[in-house]
Amino acid sequence: MSEKRILVVDDEQEIRDMYSQAFSRAGYTVRSAESAEEALEIFKQEQYWVLFLDLNLPGMDGVELCRQIRKDWPMAIPYAVTGYASLFELSDCRDAGFEDYFTKPASLSDLLDAAEHAFKKLARWKKR
Amino acid sequence: MKILIAEDDSTSRTMLQAVLTKWGYDVTATENGDDAFAVLQQEDSPQLAIFDWEMPGMDGASLCRTIRGQGRKEPLYLILLTSRGNHKDIVQGLEAGADDYIAKPYNNAELQARVNAGRRMVLLQNEMREREKLQGVLEMAGAVCHELNQPLQSVSGFSELLLMDLAASDKNYETLKAIKSGIGRIGELTRKIMKITRYQSRLYLKSKIVDIEKASQDNAEGGL
Repeated sequence: MSEKRILVVDDEQEIRDMYSQAFSRAGYTVRSAESAEEALEIFKQEQYWVLFLDLNLPGMDGVELCRQIRKDWPMAIPYAVTGYASLFELSDCRDAGFEDYFTKPASLSDLLDAAEHAFKKLARWKKR
Repeated sequence: MKILIAEDDSTSRTMLQAVLTKWGYDVTATENGDDAFAVLQQEDSPQLAIFDWEMPGMDGASLCRTIRGQGRKEPLYLILLTSRGNHKDIVQGLEAGADDYIAKPYNNAELQARVNAGRRMVLLQNEMREREKLQGVLEMAGAVCHELNQPLQSVSGFSELLLMDLAASDKNYETLKAIKSGIGRIGELTRKIMKITRYQSRLYLKSKIVDIEKASQDNAEGGL
């Protein structure tokens, strides 16, 4: 895996821009989508192993998106980033296959750590 | 639980006060309707009251009517005590706003059962009010967190990015750090708001506001 690609899904332009800048700066290749449907379209063309998904999206929500991605691409590592967290949502997230869960405003260092951790894990799986 | 009694006859008042205290109630005893009315205007006043019907000045039924006319927000359970026992009187007392009626001479066991029934009613009404308030607070908390955390995420992320590119010697470095710290505080606040599990208010100037600190504290235990 020479290219470390990340897909971010959030319905707000500013947040997508911010993620793009932050992850690009750290050396990742970033693509963004504003809806779950758009993300699934992108996935049909090219796979992303590490994802940061907003839970509250127009149309299909982030939990359902995660479930679908994990079903077709079980090795993908999706992270949830959401504006309003309840404990119920947390258990739902684990159930849907999220690797971890962040509440907004999430610090960039936490998100970058998460990305690094995910790619290390993927590299370990690949060497197996 | 606090209970208010209004009874002009000192012997009856003393006896009533003694049994209610024995049953665990915190009794405030008054000897006329006007004093009882004054007690009910205070902050954190009793929510359970027993009024004698016949009293000089404002009698028990008039007292019930006056209190109900105030449109109180707090639940208040009123019991009328009287030697008048015909149906017309009972109807008149209940129509005046009493919740229950005890005929003199009363039997202690019946009095205790009726007062306890009133207590149950007050507790239930209080619980319902708390639940309604909590529901409103939670809905508001959800809206506030969602609407606030979205813009906070981009502002917080962008300021973090700017800080990464700025040398500590730059004149804007400290200013940006202060902005970042302010954003951090708002973030902590929204995290607390998300943890609200009960209704808890505190005084703010002359009105009440939600005590975010206390209302969000119950989550410390109980696991995930």
